Amino acid sequence: MIRLESVYAGYGGGDVLQGVDLDVRQGSITCVVGPNGAGKSTVLRTISGLLRPRAGQIRLGDQPIHGRSPAAVIAAGVVQVPQQDGLFGRLTVRDNMLLGGYLIRRDKARLRRRMAELAEAFPIIAERARDKAADLSGGQRRIVEFARALMTEPSLVLLDEPTLGLDPKTCQTVFETTKAIHALGATVLMVEQNVRFGLKLATDGVVMERGRVLLAEPATDLLARPDIAAMFFGATATT
Amino acid sequence: MTAARARRAVIAGLILLVALVPVFTPDTYIHNLLILTFVVAVTASGWNIVGGFTGYVSLGHGAFIGVGGYTGGVLAAHWDVSPFLVAPLGGLAAALVALLLGLATRKTRGAAFVIVSYAMLELLGLVTRNWSGVTGGSQGFLMPLPSWDVRFQNWPFYYALFVLVLLSIGMTVAIRRSKLGLGLMAIRDDEDKAAGVGVRTAVYKSIAFMAGAVLVGVAGTVYGYYVSTLSVGTMFDIVLSMQVVLAALVGGRGTVWGPVLGAFLVVSLSELTNTTLGGTDAGAFRLIMFGGLLLVVVLLLPKGILPTVGNLLEHRRRGDTASPTGTRLEDTPLPPAPARSGTAPSTSDLLRVTDLTMRFGGVTALDQVTMAVPRGSITALIGPNGSGKTTVFNAIDGTYAVTSGSVTLAGRPITGLGRAQRAHAGVGRSHQLPRLFDSLTVVENVAVATGEFRLAGLVRSAVSGAEAARAAELLEFVGMGAYLQARAGDLSYGQRKLVELAQLLMLDPDVILLDEPAAGINPTLRARLTALIRALNDSGRTFVIIEHDMHFVLSLADRAVVLARGRVLADGEPDEVRADPAVLEAYLGADLAVGADR
Repeated sequence: MIRLESVYAGYGGGDVLQGVDLDVRQGSITCVVGPNGAGKSTVLRTISGLLRPRAGQIRLGDQPIHGRSPAAVIAAGVVQVPQQDGLFGRLTVRDNMLLGGYLIRRDKARLRRRMAELAEAFPIIAERARDKAADLSGGQRRIVEFARALMTEPSLVLLDEPTLGLDPKTCQTVFETTKAIHALGATVLMVEQNVRFGLKLATDGVVMERGRVLLAEPATDLLARPDIAAMFFGATATT
Repeated sequence: MTAARARRAVIAGLILLVALVPVFTPDTYIHNLLILTFVVAVTASGWNIVGGFTGYVSLGHGAFIGVGGYTGGVLAAHWDVSPFLVAPLGGLAAALVALLLGLATRKTRGAAFVIVSYAMLELLGLVTRNWSGVTGGSQGFLMPLPSWDVRFQNWPFYYALFVLVLLSIGMTVAIRRSKLGLGLMAIRDDEDKAAGVGVRTAVYKSIAFMAGAVLVGVAGTVYGYYVSTLSVGTMFDIVLSMQVVLAALVGGRGTVWGPVLGAFLVVSLSELTNTTLGGTDAGAFRLIMFGGLLLVVVLLLPKGILPTVGNLLEHRRRGDTASPTGTRLEDTPLPPAPARSGTAPSTSDLLRVTDLTMRFGGVTALDQVTMAVPRGSITALIGPNGSGKTTVFNAIDGTYAVTSGSVTLAGRPITGLGRAQRAHAGVGRSHQLPRLFDSLTVVENVAVATGEFRLAGLVRSAVSGAEAARAAELLEFVGMGAYLQARAGDLSYGQRKLVELAQLLMLDPDVILLDEPAAGINPTLRARLTALIRALNDSGRTFVIIEHDMHFVLSLADRAVVLARGRVLADGEPDEVRADPAVLEAYLGADLAVGADR
């Protein structure tokens, strides 16, 4: 699906990614875990084009996408849901959704069809269509944000710490919404510090450390390994 | 080290060269050009302290030349002495005007400040023009003629202003290295946050404004003496003010040498347009040149020449290197907290919030919230997103002025205090989205936090000695020891969170308000965070923690307060609260599976 080969990237103070090799399986939910500053979010940023890699290759299928602009990456079928609340609070839910389809704005029929499909998967889109995004609860906003990312029918959805700062009820919503995205046919690549949550949701797990991929295994295997748990998931995970 | 030595040699050589120009050439044209350059350099250096370090862009900085010039001129005439003798008084007058400007603009930031500073220039020009009894009004004011032998030409002006340039550079270096300078740069990056870590922003800014004006005022008197006839047009000239801003931006805002380098470039270019494109349109060409130069700087060198060149050299020297990256934690012991000097007051509730109500327009964010935090306790503040938890913190630390209600710390009402005063009184808080001073290094971010305010402390070196050692220890403890010299703006979310925590510990408050400390933090580190909070709690610190990770927070807390829709829904022991049906319904949700075993 997407493959990173010896990717090096950083923010001006040297390389944060120091030769990342990563293969995300088509149809998987892949969750990247690891210490703070290991380069997890940086991997997502290099894929979505927000950060240009200094060296290495990123291929979506057979298509190289490294060095492309964020808009070109979206057009290629990769959408990132930002870490923080990224809805436009003063716009209605409907307008927010239409902005998600900005790249296909000239294809009115497709826009309409996509809105209908997403409203079916996430009923809140239709129910609260005319309400301002700011009037929604935290969980509802998160659902709309996820749905908005799907407007252009991406083949790969990037989630950067989707549960950050959310209450337990809303975390549950995120869990279900991610499953729903997956069920609609998208591959999901996510970063999550809530490790147990992330790996329970995921099919594949990736452990990063020091700007490299240390380990990539099925999520259930990773969760079951006591050595990895002790090193990366904290003492609570062993109990 | 050799690079630093080479740099020093180049600087010394250039200073010597400029110092010897009058000896090498008798050409007064060059002398006059350099005199003007010096005036712009002194003014741009002063501007840099306000606009570069502190982030307050002034379009009227040339006004201090006028204030200094007229003050010196009037006093010299009145006392019948050389203007050189009263020049320091010109500086004093400029500093006083700057102080007034600072007081008048206490709450004015950004674009509004730019406009106010320009208005000050115009206003002072207007007053000078109309106060004709003293200033000569639109007739101008005649300075005494130089008393020295004609053979010395303009040398006294030249060297007086040259010394002022050197003094400006010296002052800039001193401020840059001091606690004061660190505080100013913190204000530039995030003024409210700076107050939150104990920086008395109003005092710091006042000092910066005065420091930025005093030498300009002195230079103003000398410049006035040099031009001989003071007029509002030359002494309160907006074009000069523009040149000053341009010089600082071209050379490098916030650097020591940038404004001086910029002054040389801007004045030379301006002179070039005057001579080659002379005639009646020279003024217009000059404005086009300024506009074009500004455009080039903004588009190509947004940081100015010196920082851009410096980065290039640094990059070439270092080549492609790896930056420090996150790894498993080593076991680092918690550095011992400094001994608390305060005597324990008798009240049992350290922090008490009574009938707190916050309204924003028609929205009631908090409705009669009352909670007491016993001394030495760990209180969990939980509730759904949007229930008002962070608003409670904002009311306690002084970010918001409350609509009604009161906050007391150790029996003392703190509702009327400013943020920095509350930080000194013992309130420290972290932010949900960590707020750091992005242009400072990690260790500077921690060292800038100060639990007390002493005027004498401002001149101390910014990052050295016991404080720097403690900052480094705290960073080591939170697992950020490898990043001491990294720019805070380059860190990831979780790392920023950790640095903010170290910053908070540096402040060493009585009550520590943590806003989602575990969010975005690796589980291994979360375990360490638990140990840290326990250790600090054992040594007598009181905590209030907002957190959605129930496992984390309820295992720590001995009390829990649940908020929902701005009201207190439940208040009691963690186990009680966890079992409360109303809490389950509002917050935890029917399915506890996800939240419970994070």
